[in-house]
Amino acid sequence: MRVQDSGARDHRVRGVDHVAFPTFDPAGTVRFYRDVLGFPVVHSICAAGWGPENHPDFVHFFFDIGNDDRIAFFYYFDVTPEVGGAAGERGDVYARFGADVPEYFVRSRHLAIHVDSEEDLLEYRRRLDASSWPVEMQIRHETIESIYTHDPNGYMVELTRAMRPVTPQEDLDANLTIDALLDVVGQPEPSFGKLLARKAELIVERAGTWRSTDHPEPVQ
Amino acid sequence: MTTLFVLDVPENTPVAEVAAQDPAVTVGQLGPYFVISADGAIVVDRRATGCRHAVWYSCVAGVARDGRITQHDKDALRVEAV
Repeated sequence: MRVQDSGARDHRVRGVDHVAFPTFDPAGTVRFYRDVLGFPVVHSICAAGWGPENHPDFVHFFFDIGNDDRIAFFYYFDVTPEVGGAAGERGDVYARFGADVPEYFVRSRHLAIHVDSEEDLLEYRRRLDASSWPVEMQIRHETIESIYTHDPNGYMVELTRAMRPVTPQEDLDANLTIDALLDVVGQPEPSFGKLLARKAELIVERAGTWRSTDHPEPVQ
Repeated sequence: MTTLFVLDVPENTPVAEVAAQDPAVTVGQLGPYFVISADGAIVVDRRATGCRHAVWYSCVAGVARDGRITQHDKDALRVEAV
């Protein structure tokens, strides 16, 4: 993890505490995350519905996804998937999409969980392939390698490994991209061509004086 | 004059190397970027670079305003003067 060019503000956060999703299939969800992937159950809350709304009783349960980060689910008693709207042709239990929605958009939102090595990635591939949720894709994006499947709720889950460490110059490039993007989307009719033109200007302004030591690795 | 910027990371090195094979193209360095420039068009043959999808389609960091990308597909990257 690197110190980012975020102005004078120090960077205090420590990763994902938890990310939470609804489920209508707690049995499948526990099988997938605990029994197939081997993610320990680390926390749960059984709560009676409360508040001014007609809030149902629910169980909120958490799986450890490494690094003390967690994925969590809400299971609401006596609630069916229709609470989220009419069933879609594609999507998951939280987001349903009709046939007119492009596939790239349907597939855009996902959770990617990190592993350290090819051996670890293939171990999770073995676990998934022996289950009801086999790996749907294994892709080497040249600098990362990932496997993908959908959990019992339809949520897309990726496991990924880096094939080499991220270099300091990629952090510079990312920051130039974002500065160029904000300039371009602040103008009418943003386009990829305008982004590359603005980024070329920022490279000329800043890249010549950049040194990788400007972005030291923080002490862990 | 057309100028193309490519970030200097290991996967992108072949893009600069293949571009430099054209005697009309010069390849310099500005900080951590390759600066690939020519009076006319810059053409990089994708197969000669050995790059696959992810690197190939994300290798361009910037194109100076006097040029624009006119081809970026499985065969080639072509940047021409506006």
